[in-house]
Amino acid sequence: MGKAVAIIGTGQTKHGRRNDVSYPELVREAVKAALEDAGLTPKDIEGVVSGTMPSMMEGISDTHLYFADAICEVGKPVLKVETCGSTGQSIAHCGFYWVASGAADIVLVVGSEKMFEGDGQATMSTVADPWFLKPFSAGAPGVFTMQAMEWMHRFNIPEDKAREAAALISLTNHDNALNNPFAHIKITMTIEDAKNAFIITYPVRLLDVCPTSDGACAVIFASEEKAKKICKKPAWIKGVGFRGEEYFLGESNKSIWPSATEAAKHAYEQAGIKNPLKELDVAEVYNPFTYQEMIFYECFGFCPRGEGPDYVLKGTFTMKGELPCDPSGGVLCTNPIGASGLIRLAEAALQVTGKAGARQIDGAKLALSHAMGGIDQFNGVTIVGADL
Amino acid sequence: MADEKPKEKPREMRAEVTVPYEMAVGSNWHRFFEGLKEEKILGTKCRKCNRIFVPPRSFCPRCFDDNEEWVEVGQEGRIETWCYSNLMFPGQTLKPPFVPVQVVLDGTDMGFQHRIAGFDLSDFEKVRALVKFGGRVRAVWNKEKKGTIFDIDYFELVT
Amino acid sequence: MRKMAIAQFAQSAGVESKENLMDFTYRISKEVLDKAGLKRSEVGCVVIASSDIFHSGLSCANAIDWDGAGAFMVEGTRAEDSMFAFIYACMRIMSGHFDTVLVTSIVKGSENPENDTLTGFFADPFYMRPLGINETTAAAMQMREYMQRCNITEEQCAKVVVKNLGNALFNPYAHVRKRVTVDDVLNSDVVSDPLKALECAPKSEGVASILLAAEDKAKKLTDKPVWVKGFGTSMDHFNLGDRDLLNGQLKIAAGRAYKMAGIRNPKKEIDVAEICEPYAFQELLWCEKLGLCGDGEGGKLIDSGVTQMHGASPVNPSGGVLAMNPYVSRGLYRLIESAMQISGSAGGHQVDKKVKTALAHGTHGFAGQCHSLVILEG
Ligand SMILES: [Zn+2]
Repeated sequence: MGKAVAIIGTGQTKHGRRNDVSYPELVREAVKAALEDAGLTPKDIEGVVSGTMPSMMEGISDTHLYFADAICEVGKPVLKVETCGSTGQSIAHCGFYWVASGAADIVLVVGSEKMFEGDGQATMSTVADPWFLKPFSAGAPGVFTMQAMEWMHRFNIPEDKAREAAALISLTNHDNALNNPFAHIKITMTIEDAKNAFIITYPVRLLDVCPTSDGACAVIFASEEKAKKICKKPAWIKGVGFRGEEYFLGESNKSIWPSATEAAKHAYEQAGIKNPLKELDVAEVYNPFTYQEMIFYECFGFCPRGEGPDYVLKGTFTMKGELPCDPSGGVLCTNPIGASGLIRLAEAALQVTGKAGARQIDGAKLALSHAMGGIDQFNGVTIVGADL
Repeated sequence: MADEKPKEKPREMRAEVTVPYEMAVGSNWHRFFEGLKEEKILGTKCRKCNRIFVPPRSFCPRCFDDNEEWVEVGQEGRIETWCYSNLMFPGQTLKPPFVPVQVVLDGTDMGFQHRIAGFDLSDFEKVRALVKFGGRVRAVWNKEKKGTIFDIDYFELVT
Repeated sequence: MRKMAIAQFAQSAGVESKENLMDFTYRISKEVLDKAGLKRSEVGCVVIASSDIFHSGLSCANAIDWDGAGAFMVEGTRAEDSMFAFIYACMRIMSGHFDTVLVTSIVKGSENPENDTLTGFFADPFYMRPLGINETTAAAMQMREYMQRCNITEEQCAKVVVKNLGNALFNPYAHVRKRVTVDDVLNSDVVSDPLKALECAPKSEGVASILLAAEDKAKKLTDKPVWVKGFGTSMDHFNLGDRDLLNGQLKIAAGRAYKMAGIRNPKKEIDVAEICEPYAFQELLWCEKLGLCGDGEGGKLIDSGVTQMHGASPVNPSGGVLAMNPYVSRGLYRLIESAMQISGSAGGHQVDKKVKTALAHGTHGFAGQCHSLVILEG
């Protein structure tokens, strides 16, 4: 089924408030880094995929036109793919299918966002229709909080236990981010800080939510033949999956989140993964909210339904745990939305190729990366491995 | 010269964008809003999976067939989930604090998005003590009807 | 390359629809599935084409588009342009991972502000936007350069409008359907000199949907598969000043598609072309770059009459974008018209000659910054 596809280079900007550069300059930083990493020049690129969050974030539409020069598009075949927060995974999938189709051997995929130039919550509230959802929109936190509340109720998770686990997730991610040279939020904090932070949408507090960031990420995909020729240690794409539920939030059960569950299942089937907790070495889960991260663990089969907090409190997902999650510090510490899902994949690729530096999980060979988008509507998953 | 960095930090430029739209409500949602004017909550039913949709759908996204049957649903329901919003951003309709809720109205199969109000929301601990999962709520109608979602002013707690 | 074909398609007419976006989308994608006798859940994957916030006022348009496009819990994604969506769908089939892809493109022009309010957002906020550059002003500069450098006359450009709107009279799906003369065009309001109002495309509604299928599957879903033989895209520089507006990327994009399709002499081998001409003169310029006539011969091409519906090389028998301009969807409209011409189902706008090979072209961005095309065959 399809040709084998590998990642042969990744690049990220330093994420954060990047008012030192314009938007195209920011994107170019990531592209340059990816080309250097792969040892390629723009000439070698046979196709380019780009994607961001919606135009309203920066007030420029169809940014693949604006970025033409910055991301080596000129004279090349291009595609523009976007699916809100899950854009990073969707553009990666486009790069994957492009190479798998045989239509190109080397495809550059670029995701970006410059969130400090607009208002993230105002932008995200325009995903909601003006008649039913938008009037009650409390931005992304409102939606995610309602989901977390539903999940706690459905599985009888005591609020204190969920709170304790969420605080530990916050601490783990913030500690991990200190090891990541690209991360945006780098602070030392305590469990108590997380538990006492400002309330955003009860019970979610400031340290439970992601920041807004400027940043870009670029990943280069190659066919088996080219990858073996160019790259000493490629990261092989083992499986991909993307699913979405209905537009109206109330129509499907978000406490068991079918789109997250099925997207992972689709990817696991291709990768031949039966027991993700045992078989995966590391996961880069898209985690803009601590509580939501636990729902993902359950959907991805890292633990049984309703037991996310128990596994978190056991330390399963810390750097030294059975399945370290987000050694990069995750979305919780860095969130340039259109890039966030692609950063998860880039980080997963770094892990399985042993290039993750201070955040490296020893001997990682199989990694999951993921992104979520819409009003809790979409989930995309990509699995990468050290072996073909 | 080429290597010389500018002495001043690069500036930021303020920009604002306003774009007007005229969005079709469609006959299906139009009928729903007309119902609200008469203090009725209307839904549509899928003849294949029998689920009742509020807001009404002209089709079932799962069975992909037309929903032709209309039903009036209950004005009371149970709280499926809720949150307490303390966040403000440009373009937000409701001012914080407010309490978004998903209500499963009696006779329907899915959560209907609205808000809970009708009491002092300023202290979240007090709100938390009153608003419960599975708790009953009832639609409170706005005296002035405009054919919008706010014809239902809010949902009140049924005690 | 894995063989694949357009199995079924459906399109909405250009008149304003009172349906909301979601219902509008559902009706057309449902029509395609019903024609194919395929259940929603049997579709391999769904690719949506729509623009984010600036066409419809809703960000992440895939969110509201999803249900109507039949994508609930089906593998799926969204592209920002319908040609992109179709080409991506081809890649998904070629990869061997999917046997069917439902591509649906959604634009509701009646809900949007003027075309150029939106195309103005392509411009960067610092340089081109304050200077008033949008698709129309960029096209006007390109037209002037074309007239000057290639001796193209205003009458020749106007003839494109006369031809295309004339063709649209026979196309029930077209938006603007009226008979106009060269004088009508030349006397219409000046929009951005030398561009006149009738030379600029309208703002239209348009949901279009295509079911693409791998060879074995296609034969089960239709009696008349229309095969995809090749595709190509290419991108030009962003700043207008960095570009040669008369020698952009179309030749390169076309070269890619022709190579894939094994076309050596497009002028002879392409039986009918559906070209994206939001501005009348662009049909002439694009024909040159597609190799349907020599460089600088676009004016002669329209004068010769070969591009008329009953000519030897018909161009835009549907009436083209001048008659129907649902921005993001217009690529799928070109593809559907091409498929109709090949399968002989175009009715009143069926061309006289027998159509074996057809070309569908799409462009977006200032003065054709980005071009895409697809070659179809009976
Ligand atoms: Zn149903």
